[in-house]
Amino acid sequence: MEAEIVEAELVLPSYFSFKKVQMYEKYPKGQSRGRHWKHLKQIIQAENYQNYPPDEPNYVNIESPPSMHPCKRICDITGFEAPYYDPRTNLRYANTDVFKIVRSLPNDYVQRYLSLRNAQVVLK
Amino acid sequence: MDVSNEVPIIRIEDGAHHVCHYTLSFTICRGFYSHETHQALFLSKATLSSSSACSSSSASPTTMPFISKIHRQSDYNLFSSATPIVIDNGASYFRIGWAGESDPRVIFRNIVQRPRHKITGETVTIVGDHDPALLKYFDCTRSGPRSAFDSNVVYQFETMEYILDFGFDRMGANGSGIDHPVLITECVCNPVQSRSKMGELLFETYGVPSIAFGVDAAFSYKYNQQRGVCDKDGLAMCLGFNTTHVIPFVDGEPIYKGSCRTNIGGYHVTDYLKQLLSLKYPHHMARFTWEKVEDLKMEHCYITPDYASEARLFQKGAKEAEEKTRCWQLPWVPPPTEEPPSEEEIARKAAIKERNGQRLREMAEAKRSSRINELENELHGLEFLLRQLEQVEERNIPSFLAETGYVSRQEIESARGKASQSLRKAKGEPKSEQAETEADPATNEKFALVNIPDYMLTPDQIIEKKKQLSIKSMFEGRQRLKQKRHEEELERERKQQLEEEKRLENPELYLEQLHAKYKDLSEKINQRKRLKTNGGGHTNGNNLSGNVGRGERLNAAQRERMRLLTTAAFDRGKGEDTFGARDEDWQLYKLMSKDNDDDDEGPDQDETELARISSRLQDLDPTFVPKSEASTSQPAEVPRSRPLTKEDFQIVFGVERFRCPEILFSPKWIGVDQVGLDEMAGVTIRRLPFKDESLEERLTSSILVTGGSSLYPGIVERLEAGIRMIRPCGVPIKIVRALDPVIDAWRGAAAYASAPEFYTQTFSKMDYYEKGEDWLRSYQPKYSL
Repeated sequence: MEAEIVEAELVLPSYFSFKKVQMYEKYPKGQSRGRHWKHLKQIIQAENYQNYPPDEPNYVNIESPPSMHPCKRICDITGFEAPYYDPRTNLRYANTDVFKIVRSLPNDYVQRYLSLRNAQVVLK
Repeated sequence: MDVSNEVPIIRIEDGAHHVCHYTLSFTICRGFYSHETHQALFLSKATLSSSSACSSSSASPTTMPFISKIHRQSDYNLFSSATPIVIDNGASYFRIGWAGESDPRVIFRNIVQRPRHKITGETVTIVGDHDPALLKYFDCTRSGPRSAFDSNVVYQFETMEYILDFGFDRMGANGSGIDHPVLITECVCNPVQSRSKMGELLFETYGVPSIAFGVDAAFSYKYNQQRGVCDKDGLAMCLGFNTTHVIPFVDGEPIYKGSCRTNIGGYHVTDYLKQLLSLKYPHHMARFTWEKVEDLKMEHCYITPDYASEARLFQKGAKEAEEKTRCWQLPWVPPPTEEPPSEEEIARKAAIKERNGQRLREMAEAKRSSRINELENELHGLEFLLRQLEQVEERNIPSFLAETGYVSRQEIESARGKASQSLRKAKGEPKSEQAETEADPATNEKFALVNIPDYMLTPDQIIEKKKQLSIKSMFEGRQRLKQKRHEEELERERKQQLEEEKRLENPELYLEQLHAKYKDLSEKINQRKRLKTNGGGHTNGNNLSGNVGRGERLNAAQRERMRLLTTAAFDRGKGEDTFGARDEDWQLYKLMSKDNDDDDEGPDQDETELARISSRLQDLDPTFVPKSEASTSQPAEVPRSRPLTKEDFQIVFGVERFRCPEILFSPKWIGVDQVGLDEMAGVTIRRLPFKDESLEERLTSSILVTGGSSLYPGIVERLEAGIRMIRPCGVPIKIVRALDPVIDAWRGAAAYASAPEFYTQTFSKMDYYEKGEDWLRSYQPKYSL
């Protein structure tokens, strides 16, 4: 290792005196462990919230509901108010100048703009 | 394609010379990345000129609450084992320190990188953010920075362990085990799986004697409550990294039943800004690193009182908008300007060219003379042969000819004719004119038989006459064509003279007319082209925009053909097949055949006229530039060819400054269908289990905003306006920002852990294993001690 890396103590040592179980003991090298963790979705599923009274707060039921206000529609490209939307690309646009840009955008850019608001075409 | 021209670039007059010095209400700079900002200059667009430039990192070291602190502490052993260690385990930053102190000892980004060392090839673990210059020894392409968080819940405890290792190590821990109680923050209603895994990790791996869990937002609220910023009844709005919470407090205790969570936070704002900038400036995509964009966000983003009106301001290009537009000048070195070659250089080049030309001319001359020589020799030889042949007796001719290689006298003569002709050509004498003029008087003799009636001729002569007739008609045709050409030339000259006269009469008017004519014609031609591609104007009148973009590759005739083909293909088997019963049916095949395309008519009259006018305009008007077709159909081609300028290396962002944080109020914009920040207050009040108007009033008159994202200027005003809209008229609304939205949670927790009753809120390893999961699930500390 280079001197400046050692000096900055950039690399986390593998042994710490204050640990009862070291990392290399817990996860020995060269052994495939597979996936040993759960995604949040799986964690929530395992919590079995349906077995608890619904008025007890939990991770799922404190989530906010959908908005009751009408959604302000903004131009996907410029961020201005967007009264129009292009049925061909599904992009919202503010005026004719933006429309020209919208129509000249290559498809992958259209999809990237759509994916900003999670409206892109998803192939399954 | 070039998206960069979507925002009208504002021209900057070189008048303003004062150095811009906009002070933001907060200046945040992450320690290690601050040097990066020194390279790039931030200019207020309104004051942008070559002389006025100011550096963005005007942050003085005293006002940097967000700096990473990773120096190893040396006083770990001075603390008794009764002093708790306090950890604010936020999704963006990890802060660890001692209970009772005012600031955390160690702060670093809550990320782990596991790159490969380039030389030795071993995989190493790097926790937190470090000087990026040191990362050059590592191959970071395989794995990016990893977080232990999914949304705001810890789920990867291997990553968490690396982070805790690093945190305790930098605290200076060196004994056998961490012999201090630990207070660690978690999210609201943390799933018990995550909580128990965290407990297990702390107990089993680090040997911690006891643990307490608490919610960061609650600690922040309590800290501010103790300092009189907010009351014991109120709302805590915590704008975190991944999520935003609103928690109601009644009598100084959080009521989780009434809390709500929207899955939007600072991460999403930065990501949104990053995506928008990379889409706007695809050429500079590599510049927009996460750290850089985060810095941009923290320095320039703000929240408007009213998004729509602010956006309209920018759309109109108003003066205020211009002032609010920020411009990031990327490092740019002007390309070396090519000096015009000096006089001597030009002279030298011309001399070289002249010399080369001379040599070529000499070579050509030598070649020509040698050829003339050769041809003359051949001619002499042939003439000599002919003279000899005259002297040779009739019967000896064949044997004589056999020696020479020619078959007959005629052949020799024709060879002589050819040779003399090419000799004339080589010498540069005109031949055809002579020949034709010579032919003229002979015409009548040549066509001697034409005017004699057939009955007076022998069959041989009749054949001859037919030949002569055809030759004559051909000859006459040629004559006529020549005549016509001559006449056209005369006409053109006459026209030119006429125009010249007009021009001399009134040059301006003439030029104007010419321009008008040019415009008319070019429009006419364009229109025709458009019609051809769009198929007769049934495109709802939006011709201009209709012919750009996708899906319009076929012209009208081709489209019609495709339509016929498809109808023919899918018409089968539908009822009775009557095709062919009528004769017109068979016309279909004619229409379908490819030969029907008639779009290649070649340049027509208008186009030649256009070309003529444009060439004439180019002669007369030096400023005239003919509109090229390429510029209308492929606008992307043009900028590529021009040299890059300073403006191409400017990242201009105006609307983005307030568009990105606005997603906190309109999560729908990034596809999250949940209420925004202002509505969350209403949701929380609705969710409270008891209906009490005076309590609701007390809640809304003490709203605390905390968390990193509450640092945006204007958020308090905006929230007040938003909450006023959803609350009954006239109720008191008071919104305050936390004293230090970033560190307050840790400070509150540190104060909490230093209280003598803190021990009643902790649980030991024995409790953990004896009381079981259900107890752990319902574990909740009392915040008012």
